[in-house]
Amino acid sequence: MSNTRENTSAGVLPQPELAQHDGGGAPASPPSPPRSPRTGAGSSRAARRGRTGWAMRLEIALLAGPAAIVFLAFVIVPVAIAAYYGFFRWQGYGPATDFVGLQNYLTILEDSAFQQALLHNGLIVIGSLVLQGPAAILLALLLNRKMRGQSLIRVLIFVPYVIAEVVVGTGWSLMLATNGALNGLLKDLGLGALAHDWLSDPGLAIWTLLAILTWKYVGFAVILFLAGLQGIPEELYEAAALDGASYWQIQRRIALPLLGPTLRIWAFLSIIGALQLFDLVYIIWGQYVASTAGTSTMATYMVANGRNAGNFGYGNAVAVVIFLISLIVALFYQRFVLRRDTEGAITGDRRTGRKKR
Amino acid sequence: MTAFTAIPDAPDVVGAPGTPGRIKAKRLPWGSPAVYFVALVVIALMLAPIAYIVFGGFRTNSQITVDPAGLPNPWNAANYLGVLTGGVFWQEVLNSTIVAVVTTVGVILLGLMASYVLARYRFRGRGALYALFAAGLMFPITVAITPLYIVVRSIGLMNSLGGVILPQIAFALPTTIIILVPFLRAIPDEIQEAAFIDGCSRIGFFWRMVLRLSLPGVITVGILAFIASWNSYLLPLFLLNNEATFTLPLGVQAFSSQYSVDTAKVLAFTSLSMIPALVFFSLFERRIVGGLTGAVKG
Amino acid sequence: MKGIKLLTGAAVVMAGTLALSACSGASDTSSSNGKVTMTLWQNSTTGPGQEFWKNAAAAFEKANPKVTIKVQSIQNEDLDGKLQTALNSGDAPDIFLQRGGGKMAAMVNAGQVMDITGKVSSETKKNISSGSFKAETYQDKVWAMPIAVLPGGLFYSQDLFKAAGIGDAPKTIDDLNADVTKLKATGVSPIALGAKDAWPAAHWFYWFALRECAGSTMEKTADSKSFSDGCWLKAAEDVQKFASTKPFNDGFLTTTAQQGAGSSAGLIANHKAAMELMGAWDPGVIASLTPDQKPLPDLGFYPFPEVSGGKGEPGAIMGGVDGYSCSVKAPKECVDFLNFVATTPQQEAYYKAFNAPPVNTEAQKIVTEPYLKDVLKAYNAAPYVSQWLDTVLGQNIGNALNVAVVDMLAGKSTPQQMIQAANDAAKKG
Repeated sequence: MSNTRENTSAGVLPQPELAQHDGGGAPASPPSPPRSPRTGAGSSRAARRGRTGWAMRLEIALLAGPAAIVFLAFVIVPVAIAAYYGFFRWQGYGPATDFVGLQNYLTILEDSAFQQALLHNGLIVIGSLVLQGPAAILLALLLNRKMRGQSLIRVLIFVPYVIAEVVVGTGWSLMLATNGALNGLLKDLGLGALAHDWLSDPGLAIWTLLAILTWKYVGFAVILFLAGLQGIPEELYEAAALDGASYWQIQRRIALPLLGPTLRIWAFLSIIGALQLFDLVYIIWGQYVASTAGTSTMATYMVANGRNAGNFGYGNAVAVVIFLISLIVALFYQRFVLRRDTEGAITGDRRTGRKKR
Repeated sequence: MTAFTAIPDAPDVVGAPGTPGRIKAKRLPWGSPAVYFVALVVIALMLAPIAYIVFGGFRTNSQITVDPAGLPNPWNAANYLGVLTGGVFWQEVLNSTIVAVVTTVGVILLGLMASYVLARYRFRGRGALYALFAAGLMFPITVAITPLYIVVRSIGLMNSLGGVILPQIAFALPTTIIILVPFLRAIPDEIQEAAFIDGCSRIGFFWRMVLRLSLPGVITVGILAFIASWNSYLLPLFLLNNEATFTLPLGVQAFSSQYSVDTAKVLAFTSLSMIPALVFFSLFERRIVGGLTGAVKG
Repeated sequence: MKGIKLLTGAAVVMAGTLALSACSGASDTSSSNGKVTMTLWQNSTTGPGQEFWKNAAAAFEKANPKVTIKVQSIQNEDLDGKLQTALNSGDAPDIFLQRGGGKMAAMVNAGQVMDITGKVSSETKKNISSGSFKAETYQDKVWAMPIAVLPGGLFYSQDLFKAAGIGDAPKTIDDLNADVTKLKATGVSPIALGAKDAWPAAHWFYWFALRECAGSTMEKTADSKSFSDGCWLKAAEDVQKFASTKPFNDGFLTTTAQQGAGSSAGLIANHKAAMELMGAWDPGVIASLTPDQKPLPDLGFYPFPEVSGGKGEPGAIMGGVDGYSCSVKAPKECVDFLNFVATTPQQEAYYKAFNAPPVNTEAQKIVTEPYLKDVLKAYNAAPYVSQWLDTVLGQNIGNALNVAVVDMLAGKSTPQQMIQAANDAAKKG
């Protein structure tokens, strides 16, 4: 039943292909075993048995219903509400009466503070990918061997990911304060000249933020990549070694490309997470000086200009803008980067089609 | 590869996947010193800030002001004891636990049921339903908080743990469903066929077989939901105004601003609030890492 | 079996969730069988301040056995946001700190505050000047009981001044610049600034504006929310010029105003900085941050220096009045409590706890500290009194103005851009 496994290296992702639930999606990587004859007969029999209406419909409603209801109430309805109130100027109490149409959206796009926040988000996205990716790949390659203590090492690397961003932010802001532990340590080591205002220097703060983010999330990337590497059969390495490839050649020519799907998933999660960054920035820099320090994000902009300023209509408009930006980025990414991994997915091309063969 | 290897294994089974049943028969060899050195450096970097926080709690405020980067000298347990014996910390741990546990149970139940439908039934609108859940990834709590606050307020759940739990369940559903659908789909049709031939109903199949077969995925999803809920800050910030209902991340921030005079005390509180997450993680580490492995490999 | 377990599990979850929504922390102003419970939100997180409110509540409870008051202390920087959320969601505390100005106007317009115009006791009216009540008046009605009058100016360490060879407190901005230079030579930060909270930085702008702008101009702007008069730009330029001599402490961008030994108040308390521009609550805050947690012995006060050529009246002073409001849903005992804390004995206790000038003129007579006496002297002699500008302008514009000043101080924008940002804020709300 090899084909039940193939298409799902992109399995963490939205829209792995849905239509052919019995597997048989396009192979994501070259060395996957050949597709065995489809079990279409069996599945269609199973499907046909239930195709007649009411019992099946009732089951679907019962099973999927609660999730759908909760989801609609707390996710979809807020999207709709945000879209609605985004057209008003509204202080948050009573009904919304001051209809301003698209004015809020215009204000957002023209506001230099938002543009800067967008820029910072972009920097964080790129910085996260560039700083965490190579480091995590190297670490994963290094650690991808059977050795004693591998479990412990993996656990310890993963620890920062588990800790709440609030805790991380509180701890780091104390450590990086102008009179805090890091500068103190540098002075103790005689490197006092290296002491800086890590958090308050507008030129430096964004790098500090990227450093903290790397610290927190590189472990997650390493674990993910390790998992991806373990999906690569030993035989490939052995064959390459037999052919005379060195260790690093093997890593570069075999492991890395086969890590592709995992890399792409990780990058996707990383991008989306970077676009939505809030907790860390809010805790360390507070609601006022994030923009001055050069670390504001769209989410902190939304909270500072929306709820904290009493402008709920405006805040809702910002939420819609962030949503649309994330959506566009995600669709773009799906379409162009993940196309190979998700043949037949909803936004991909329709070459393989959705019908049973 | 047989159906059994379609279900992800624990990650430290020696040998590549595809060699089912080979158990760790011998001790693992030592790695090269270079690798251990690199690992040590990385781990030191990872753990140094945590060590700072933990040690900081053992110092007094004046120690920190005088020598920001030094070790506790003398060791002072008063801050930790103060936090542990005060009611605030435990109240918040309790609140966080309630919220996280109920959220996790809700996420697993609702997510599993919905994923089952999406994975194994065929009906019109299935694609649309799936896309609906997937689109939810683009509208995370951070972004949705402003209108969400309005929704929760109009339902009347402000200042209550239930008002925090229900949205968390809703927002955890996209990731859950996206992770679980492949797992559920990976259950081979033959098993389903066999069950039906034996007279099992579709729902019976669900309770009896699907749950067991998708357990690794369920555990992964449950753990991710638990961690996300435990660490969540923004939602409680907006919805919980009364101190008695604070969860732990909110409590850390409130404590740090209330007792900002006393850096050492804040560090003690902060490090104690890391402990539940770390304990939970160490208990389930194999499952978490294994689950991620499985999710990635399929 | 497993199915049944799951089903019961699901039922428990759902029931639990519903139960938990009932087990909320909502404030209860129930008056069943005559018992009244009220919640109080105040912004003092330090020992003596919290003690004061606890004692006040206890004393009131003793005099009114059916009443219970739950006191909650909220960090000053969190208070406005939480209060607005609570007021908007109908979960408001019964008694809460009221800053006045545009912030109060927003609450009144939303119908969330109790009108106490007719309910102020005559004894209170005798002891508290009508000027103080003016700060709590909107649309000719009184919405809060004033508790403390908190004029602003520079609080400084007389020891550090002496060590730098400074004889008298500066009277003009040029004097102040000269003093800054002298202080830098001794190695301390001349001026502590808690810019992370934004409003401390903005206060420098407000005071320059008070000196540059005529009182009538400021009042007009408070209504129109437009900073078109040239005096505002001039004030912004003054701030930039003043900041260009780098008088502030290192890392002021992430220094808080009141939180911890690293805050601007903490710097003063530990003699790491020589002065800061603050309101009259500062002595109390500084006292909580000194090593021995007692008032700073060498603390002094001088009013904001004069600016030559400014249109503002010399001696004009800016200050807030801290008051306490009742939410519109509060029981009538709320106003009784407000009258209670305005009585002379309570006001004397307030002064002792907070080291800040009480609003009750009888209680003011027992003030002993020289710096507080200087504060009151400047206040009583002032020809014109304004409230803090961010309070006057309301939360939206106030916040934006505060952040714009920080941006300019950090060198990221020009005075024109600062004024522009303040003007633009009106578009968002």
